[in-house]
Amino acid sequence: MKDEEPREVSASRRAFLRGIPVLTAAAAALPAPALAADSKHHWAMLVDVRKCIGCQACTVACIQENAVPEGSFRTIVSTYSVKLADAEQPAGTYMLPRLCNHCEAPPCIPVCPVGATFKRDDGIVVVDGDRCVGCAYCVQACPYDARFINHATNKADKCTFCAHRVDAGLLPACVETCVGGARIFGDLNDPQGELRRRLDAAKAEVKVLKPEQGTEPRVFYIGLDERFQGKVEGQGTLWQPRKAHG
Amino acid sequence: MTPDIVETVNVAREIAWLPWAVQYFFLIGLSYGAWLVSLPGLVFRRRGWEGISRLALLAALVCGLTAPVALLADLHQPGRFWHFYAYFTPTSWMSWGAFFIPVYLTGLILYAWLAFRPALARHAEEGGKLAGLARALAYGGHESRKALIAAALLTFVGAALVALYTGVEVMLVRARPLWHTPLLPVQFFVTALAGGLGLALVFNRALPGGGDPAATRRMAVALALTQLVALLVGAVWLVLGLSGMSPVHAQALAEVAPSANWKVSAVWAVVATVVTLALAVRRPGSGLLIGLLALHSAWMMRWTIFIGGQEVPKTGAGYYSYQLPLGPEGLMGIVGTAGLWIFLFVVLTTLLPLDRIGQAERVGA
Repeated sequence: MKDEEPREVSASRRAFLRGIPVLTAAAAALPAPALAADSKHHWAMLVDVRKCIGCQACTVACIQENAVPEGSFRTIVSTYSVKLADAEQPAGTYMLPRLCNHCEAPPCIPVCPVGATFKRDDGIVVVDGDRCVGCAYCVQACPYDARFINHATNKADKCTFCAHRVDAGLLPACVETCVGGARIFGDLNDPQGELRRRLDAAKAEVKVLKPEQGTEPRVFYIGLDERFQGKVEGQGTLWQPRKAHG
Repeated sequence: MTPDIVETVNVAREIAWLPWAVQYFFLIGLSYGAWLVSLPGLVFRRRGWEGISRLALLAALVCGLTAPVALLADLHQPGRFWHFYAYFTPTSWMSWGAFFIPVYLTGLILYAWLAFRPALARHAEEGGKLAGLARALAYGGHESRKALIAAALLTFVGAALVALYTGVEVMLVRARPLWHTPLLPVQFFVTALAGGLGLALVFNRALPGGGDPAATRRMAVALALTQLVALLVGAVWLVLGLSGMSPVHAQALAEVAPSANWKVSAVWAVVATVVTLALAVRRPGSGLLIGLLALHSAWMMRWTIFIGGQEVPKTGAGYYSYQLPLGPEGLMGIVGTAGLWIFLFVVLTTLLPLDRIGQAERVGA
């Protein structure tokens, strides 16, 4: 029985993806991101949505790695049931891993009243927990709902690309655990690196979330349906973690 | 054909600016709004405004002293408030605000002290409650017009900066289209002024004999004007959104238009404003009802903008649903702020009773 379920989900996903003409829309293609000049590394992530199976292993790995309190998430795979028009099945499932986009022009940084949030030379946007006053202005300013107030620390919290792991030469926890190999983490400055090669190879298909915000995200997507690129128009989820867990 | 989308798994982000923030924006708005009402009687010496302007000054003082406490409580690390001063960040309007608030409050306290000194001295002479303290605070009880005007100028600078930063700080949040409209600071200002007038009217009604009817009528006219402006600004907002002339307003409208809650809020706001306007023009009565209505509208506007605005997901589908928690992060924040407000009101009116503020100065004027 366990063997059958993933196949069903996968089939439905494939059917759904086949029905999305916008995937081939080269018009929305992004220019290849510029190389960072100031630092040896410029970390970024590519999410191949076509490979995500929505298992939430990344979500769990992140929580465990970063001691994210119950009910809060630094990353999550947003999952949508989508009605299909031209398929035998009535609906497909669309998965979209979300995390901090480590923007090149992060709107969370200039609003911080105490300079607690900043972008490292290697492109990772982090929060100085010793300085943060928990005013949540950055939470408001992030267009991706990627930030939150951590109830355990009472400070702004977000994905750090697992900076502590990256600094030690390891991959972010979500990347390491990804079952489908949907998350590719790497250095934009490394022309031979997998990330750069994959970005270059998939040029026309590479997209980012909310490009109109001008934030220049450094989390890229392949297989990103434009209906999910901004605020999703549809019925909201009924599941609210805090209510579920008290 | 566009397929229907149902979100099955996603994170529901919690409200990060709590009801404390609503209380702050409400009270600081009432404070600078009421302070403006203190000018005709105290600085410009307009006949008939003396008593009501002093009452408005009391309102500005009580609200102004309460507001920063609410702001502090909204920080999740209130003990680190000094970081605002240690790590000034010029790119952040909130950082600037941390400096604007003390400018305003310093000016306000100085201005209030200069304005109330003679009354404090009289209160002490006549053996009122806490006469000793009143005498000490009066510090001779001299009336110093030049000093009062200088303090008014300082307060004006502070009030203008506070009004500016509280509006712009929210307006700049591009991630929330509902907040990101250029009209938002104007709407904050107009409702703040209306709230300030409203609170002064309520104080006026609390005077023995229900206050000066002529002053009530004057205030009702001023309140009616604010309501008219509020309606006009609201209409401009709506036209800009509906016509598509302004993409920012269209986006803001599109975010909330599908929601039944938002429709009710919009109708509620319009009806409350129209009723306040109609009553203020035709039947101002004692001023109590229109005063309370104006206060209600000023608070509701901020609640809807802040709490309602945070119920709109930035990426996810639909709306988050907010239920007011009963603890410090919710109801207790509102009750606590109200409690502090009442405490300060009691202390100040014990030192200088309401009737003395509202009436005695007309004798001397």
